[in-house]
Amino acid sequence: MSANKENNLVQAYIELNKYCQSGDYDRALKATGKVLQIAPNEQKAFHCKIVCLIQLHNFKEALAVLSNPRNAALASELHFEKAYTQYRLNCPKEALQTVDNAPELTPALKELRAQILYRLEQYQDCYNLYRDIVKNTTDDYEDERKTNMSAVVANLAALNPSSDLPQFD
Amino acid sequence: MPPSMDAIPCKPLFFDLACNFVEFPNLDDKTGAADSKKQGAGLTG
Repeated sequence: MSANKENNLVQAYIELNKYCQSGDYDRALKATGKVLQIAPNEQKAFHCKIVCLIQLHNFKEALAVLSNPRNAALASELHFEKAYTQYRLNCPKEALQTVDNAPELTPALKELRAQILYRLEQYQDCYNLYRDIVKNTTDDYEDERKTNMSAVVANLAALNPSSDLPQFD
Repeated sequence: MPPSMDAIPCKPLFFDLACNFVEFPNLDDKTGAADSKKQGAGLTG
């Protein structure tokens, strides 16, 4: 890469970084275009582009970009982002497949997997996974996660009122 | 005549917590911020 091109690339990334940090997803999306015009194989800019599309709720385009065979190399590590767009587009079966094809079940994929299982009405598996997540996670969303768990239990109870239901403290 | 009212279970609240994991990657190595940090460390020992 020529020194000039390299300098342009750094400048484009600096601009992108600025909009990422301010949460200006429209401008950040445009900035990813600039980076990818200079260097089409920039994985991080591609990742940012997908995050922008998701934050702008343009899930359809995010999934189309991720699934385009021309972007196969750039998209190869974005398992969570792909599964999340499929989940939001109401394709929980495909989303689950994407999650389970990932080489490692990261905390993000675990959280998403639980939500997918809920959508698929696999409440017992969903409950077991939430128990595991709650035990191993400390973050700002513990109340919301407990709410989700009680939704799972409510569904278990509705399906089978006579079953032994988990108790909450 | 409308049919009589029946109680039905309400739809439980369910949050999308996975959306919090949709985050930008760290771009420090691309913007030169990582290099200047390294230099800074060098200067201060």
